[in-house]
Amino acid sequence: MTQYAFSLDVSRCTGCRACVVACQDQNDLEGDDLAAFRHVTTIERGTFPDVRIAHVSLACQHCGDAPCIAVCPTRAIVRRGAEGAVLVDENLCIGCHSCALVCPFGAPQFSADGPMVKCDLCWVRLEEGLKPACVQVCATHALDCRPTESLGAKKAEAASLRILETLVRTLPPEPA
Amino acid sequence: MTSPTRPDARAALAAAKIPGPDTGIVIRKTLCSICEYKCLVDAHVKDGRLIKVEGSRGSPINDGTLCSKGAASRQWVYNPDRLQTPLLRTGERGEGRFRPISWDEALDRIAERLAGFKAESGPESVVFFAGYPKVMRPFLKRLTHGFGSPNYCTESSTCFVGANMGGYLNYGYMLGQQGGAEIDTTRCILNWSTNHFYSQAPLGNRTFDALDRGTKLIDVGPMLSPPAERADIHLRLRPGTCGALALSMAHVIIEENLHDRAFVENWTHGFDDYREYASKFPPAVAEQITGVPKEKIVAAARLYATTKPAAIVTSACTTIHHTNGVQNHRAITALIGLTGNFDRPGGNHPVPTSYYRPSGLAHREHAFEQVKPWSEMAPRVGQDRFPVWSRIIPQAQAMALPEQILTGKPYPIRSVLAFGLNHRMWPAPEVTKQALLALDFFVDVELFMTETAKFADIVLPACSTLERNEFSISPSRHAIWTEQAVPPVGQSRPDIDIILDLAKRLVPEDELLAQGHAACLEWIFQPAGLSIAELAAHPGGMVLEGRPATPYEKYKKNGFPTPTKKMEFSSTILAELGFDALPVYREPLQSPVATPELAKEYPLVFTTGTRLPMFIHARTFRVPWLRKLHPEPTADINPVDAGARGITHMQWVEVSTPRGALRVRANVTEYVPPGVVNMIHGYPGADANELIDPDYLDPVSGHPGYKSLLCEVWPHPDQEGAAP
Ligand code: SF4
Repeated sequence: MTQYAFSLDVSRCTGCRACVVACQDQNDLEGDDLAAFRHVTTIERGTFPDVRIAHVSLACQHCGDAPCIAVCPTRAIVRRGAEGAVLVDENLCIGCHSCALVCPFGAPQFSADGPMVKCDLCWVRLEEGLKPACVQVCATHALDCRPTESLGAKKAEAASLRILETLVRTLPPEPA
Repeated sequence: MTSPTRPDARAALAAAKIPGPDTGIVIRKTLCSICEYKCLVDAHVKDGRLIKVEGSRGSPINDGTLCSKGAASRQWVYNPDRLQTPLLRTGERGEGRFRPISWDEALDRIAERLAGFKAESGPESVVFFAGYPKVMRPFLKRLTHGFGSPNYCTESSTCFVGANMGGYLNYGYMLGQQGGAEIDTTRCILNWSTNHFYSQAPLGNRTFDALDRGTKLIDVGPMLSPPAERADIHLRLRPGTCGALALSMAHVIIEENLHDRAFVENWTHGFDDYREYASKFPPAVAEQITGVPKEKIVAAARLYATTKPAAIVTSACTTIHHTNGVQNHRAITALIGLTGNFDRPGGNHPVPTSYYRPSGLAHREHAFEQVKPWSEMAPRVGQDRFPVWSRIIPQAQAMALPEQILTGKPYPIRSVLAFGLNHRMWPAPEVTKQALLALDFFVDVELFMTETAKFADIVLPACSTLERNEFSISPSRHAIWTEQAVPPVGQSRPDIDIILDLAKRLVPEDELLAQGHAACLEWIFQPAGLSIAELAAHPGGMVLEGRPATPYEKYKKNGFPTPTKKMEFSSTILAELGFDALPVYREPLQSPVATPELAKEYPLVFTTGTRLPMFIHARTFRVPWLRKLHPEPTADINPVDAGARGITHMQWVEVSTPRGALRVRANVTEYVPPGVVNMIHGYPGADANELIDPDYLDPVSGHPGYKSLLCEVWPHPDQEGAAP
């Protein structure tokens, strides 16, 4: 099994919330009862003039050791093999909210009387060679979704390139 | 939702909205013009209905991405407020009671009334106004002048045209919305009070990519915005003092001999006077004015002047929304020439004005528009009040319109035919409302039944970009003739088609307009050999190859297009028209320095018009996904100022200025510095423009000083009541 996961480059997240809206458009989350599957939180630290503002975009993390799977009494929550998405089978879900109780990220949502719903990693899109809707929409490429092992490699490469660029800029120009 | 453990492949694909024969979902190549950046869009359409949008992958503009506004396109197109038919007023003016009428009846009535005003009071008594979208502007301007009226005006009366005036007065060239900054190749970005991440998201990404390449970033602005957060140096100035800051940087650069002496000697006019004037702003003095520590001013001046090439990224409007706006903007953009970064790779280049995006493609847009010379028409609205504007900008100045309607001076205005007019664009919008209600006849073409549309005698329903064909060309010369993604909602129609149908009635002698939209575009771009049929054969657009690239250092050929043929530190045009020739710094008309007595009662600086990512002016407040992200009106206030007034986060407060007061929630945040209160503009029920006097304008451009006046904030007595 390949385990896909979301990643967020906090240095590129501007808190624009396009990911929230793209997710709602993808999943038809139009009613007032359902919140979005993705949340963006802004945090501020410090006092003027030494202040930092940062944003974090969060959805279901499709955890490796998912507490929602462990706690579900009807085994409605399962991991799908191909990309490791944690999914809920709405026919088996009894709406007991146990998953919401244990999820560290507040991912499970419930409509008025319906079963649990949450991010499904856009697993069909992944199978079709597309990124999840929230990832594709992200104008600054802060959000990504990849197999877990390549996530680290990609971040390392990006960081190395940044260091190299800085080094190249500070070196004297090559003689003509 | 599909049952993943018993996947039915076809249902799963349909639920995931994957296009293809299995699902019956097709992709139509269109664009988003909600903010006019024109990101390319893959409209996902099933059975003639839009079911989802995505940015077009591979698009040179937005490569698959969208901002929150564009991502919400579905709720924009199918908004319950969309107008379905032409409407004729049945109740009193402004009451909002209408009955549906046919398109023919509506257009015939309009043509008959306008012809009547022309016969009775002259063509100038009819004003034509263009708000959003901008794509119809050349068509409307041609219709206006063909009709014989000089009074074509637009929402640019408060927007980027002022910045263009600043660039033009210095260089004889317009510098366009971002100041013609070469973000992709520069090594130092001086980001002057703009936050593209919230206004033109794909451009923000290019800034990040520049940073990844090692480009230095200096940010100027009061807000701790995403670019400020990431800047090497952040100059956090008091709103409205940017002219003083720019002059101080100039002083440091000249004093330390960091300017481009060859350029200054050969290509500039008035340098000695400018140098002497700038010397009145040594960093210690500028610190007193701007609040920026002097060490930071020096460091920023050195970094900008010694990193080559360097580019100033300007905003379409933040720096000119002050009562000294154009002069401030001149002081800022003068730094480009001073440091030798004008029209050089990686610096700032001239950007020709065009509503088809400045692509450098040869065109006849201006000949298309100006079918009658000014000399054969009456003076424009605002021509006496704003002579500099009228000299440079080929439009009437809409800020002068309410007064002219209400006073009838210098001549009466009887009718306004508007496309997307929002009276809340004006400071003191109640005055504009009063003026519109005083007209003999007001027509508004709109997507939605807006507050302003309710003042009209006839309302015409326009459709959105997704419902029509539209031409667009990017600076990288990617051109597109969009597909009509979905049928128009109700009987709504493209703005340009509405103009062409009015032209048939009002200017039947105009043979070109009679040939239709595509023929007009081909006429405009005839010098570049554009074929709409060829574009239509390339859904998704194509790069127009083989057209010569615009050269750099264009001034070396025939000099600058200014009266002195040089870059003018000292403006010949301003001097001639009785204004300061140098980019003189003046305090905002209301400021702690200019009006200390007033500041005792209103000690905080009020600023409005900065963007939130989900809103663009008043266009998206009615989109549920977006409104939900910011459901109530707020004012940003620093914890220091909130604490001093006993204000807690999200408490209801009263924001008051000498003109009025609003009830909003306090967003206690470090996003604003101490001493500054920030509100977005036009929020339903809490419109910041109601706090600004109607004549709080920059005399050079006529633009309102939205971004620097005085206010006070206190907890509101009503803590329980609903949002306004
Ligand atoms: S930046 Fe946003 S609103 Fe502007 S064109 Fe692109 S998607 Fe549309």
